Amino acid sequence: MDQFLQALINGVALGGFYAAMVLGFSIIWGVMGVINLAHGEFLMIGAYLAWIMNRYFHWEPFATLIVVLPVMFMLGYLLQRLLINRVVERPPLISLLVTYALSIVFANILKLFFTGTPRSVDTVIAGFWRLGNVTIPVVKTSILVISILMVLTLALFLEYTRLGKSIRAAAQNRNAARMVGIEISSVYAITFAICIALTGGAGVLITPIQPIFPFMGQPFTLKAFAITTMSGLGNIWGALLGSLVLGLLEVYVATYIPGVGTNLGIVVSYVILVLVLIIRPQGLFGGLKPVEQT
Amino acid sequence: MRSGKVLAYIRKIHLLRWILGLCLVFLLMLPLLNSFAVDDDLVTGSLLFSLTQMFMLVTLASNWNLISGFTGYVDFGHITFFGLGAYATGILMSRAGWTFFPTLIAGAGLAAIFAVLIGRATMHLKGPYFSIAMLGTFTALRELVRLARPFTGGGPGLTLPPYLNRPLFYYITLFQAVVVIAFIWWIRRTEFGATLVAIREDEIGAETRGINTTLHKVVAFSLAALSSGIVGGLWAYQNTFIDPDIVFLDSRTIEIAMMTMLGGLGTVAGPAIGAMLIYWLRDILWANFLQYHLIMEGILLIIVVLFVPQGIMGTLGDHSGTTMRRLWRRWFGAAESEMDNKS
Repeated sequence: MDQFLQALINGVALGGFYAAMVLGFSIIWGVMGVINLAHGEFLMIGAYLAWIMNRYFHWEPFATLIVVLPVMFMLGYLLQRLLINRVVERPPLISLLVTYALSIVFANILKLFFTGTPRSVDTVIAGFWRLGNVTIPVVKTSILVISILMVLTLALFLEYTRLGKSIRAAAQNRNAARMVGIEISSVYAITFAICIALTGGAGVLITPIQPIFPFMGQPFTLKAFAITTMSGLGNIWGALLGSLVLGLLEVYVATYIPGVGTNLGIVVSYVILVLVLIIRPQGLFGGLKPVEQT
Repeated sequence: MRSGKVLAYIRKIHLLRWILGLCLVFLLMLPLLNSFAVDDDLVTGSLLFSLTQMFMLVTLASNWNLISGFTGYVDFGHITFFGLGAYATGILMSRAGWTFFPTLIAGAGLAAIFAVLIGRATMHLKGPYFSIAMLGTFTALRELVRLARPFTGGGPGLTLPPYLNRPLFYYITLFQAVVVIAFIWWIRRTEFGATLVAIREDEIGAETRGINTTLHKVVAFSLAALSSGIVGGLWAYQNTFIDPDIVFLDSRTIEIAMMTMLGGLGTVAGPAIGAMLIYWLRDILWANFLQYHLIMEGILLIIVVLFVPQGIMGTLGDHSGTTMRRLWRRWFGAAESEMDNKS
């Protein structure tokens, strides 16, 4: 029973982190129909930025968010303006190849600068609370809380601000949005920038619990894809639910099947992915329809 | 000057055919040159080794083109089949003590069977869903190989009985590359090949005409897998050591994608030309900028995708306007006109 509860707590914490991790991917796909295969690499860049500030300026990892979010926003904006806007309306193959090439370029540039050695950050946040025989680590709780805060901010932004509304309009019907005077390419650029900032932020959050290395990105891309297919495109509440499902499944598999460790997480997400795609191609919880791809 | 016309002219005088034939004869004679020549080091082992590697890449790129270029289903997990072939050969040779050729057949069979199974599930998926499902297959299989340590050797890998016979590998891979390219040339002219292209152009239209698209896709997929399984087996035996990271190498996928894109997606000769060009280029990059070569390859892929999306063969064979004018239009007209005009 204790083991079950412990796994539940760990799974919920992991799921909360996944929610922050997946949203950028899900919104970019939902709004502009681009599957960002460099998603995990943006997360990795955010993690490295946090590590640099932690290592050389002794910032608390979570405090680096105030620097990482704007920097990643700029990076996303520039990339979209220079590169992605040119491939948005071409066949999906083109954007897949471009983002895949980007992921290789980013991973290898960082490997060049920081070598392949796994890095970790120092943090003062430690210890745990005890509830009977179950422990609740403070670090994981903080990650969960900050993730939920980021997701909520984004949800409110999309729901109530003028910019958020134009992003949703662009997602629903690109041409109709263009007709009512929304400048699609700048809306796309800002969407991409916000999503990359969020992803970089998720990268900061994971630094205290996972080693940072240049090739850590790809599993995250795959998990983001699995969650997004489960939850439907650009659907924030669906993404929360899907993240919880994947987080819990991963932790329970690692807890109850002995000797496999956490590497099986990637296999779990793959099995979910294929099952969902076969049974319910539109996702479990509905959501935006994919942008029409000709 | 219209490049399409030039190509048509070259075809007319059969020059290309003669050049190809002469190249093939030269490649066939290459390992024998040492016995005729006065200089013993004319054809070194390392030259044969790198040509062998190049033929393997030519074959892999052609296989990838069969599924991704012809049917338009971009396969980001094609190295799965290469890996299955490599591991079948590795396990059967080092643990069961089989000889090489039976293991090669077993590896190819395993890859083809796996392709049928996985293809039946993933080939229903459209466009990007298929791509990511295959990327998932690839990553999941790598982790499974790492976990199944008693069987596959896990992270530390497997060592195969060493066997140093470079001319043998050279001839096998040359033979396979020629057979695969000839096969794809032939397939492109059959109804089967036309169906694959129809699936790429308009899958629903093809279905409406009564074509069983899933069957065609799965057959093409397993043929490509079979051939890649053989390449994997050859590679494992030549390399004499396999572990999950060097067999299921991420960059190999991007390399074969890039080779095919550069040469021309969906053309017969494109992947081979792209593979040779990139292999030659990579040798230079590797020798001079070891640290940066993957970065440069990634940037090159982006440039190719943006500027010459039809690749070398596609651009030469295209008849609408001159090459330069199309390139100009593609880039400087793209960002604005495509955003504003296209529905």
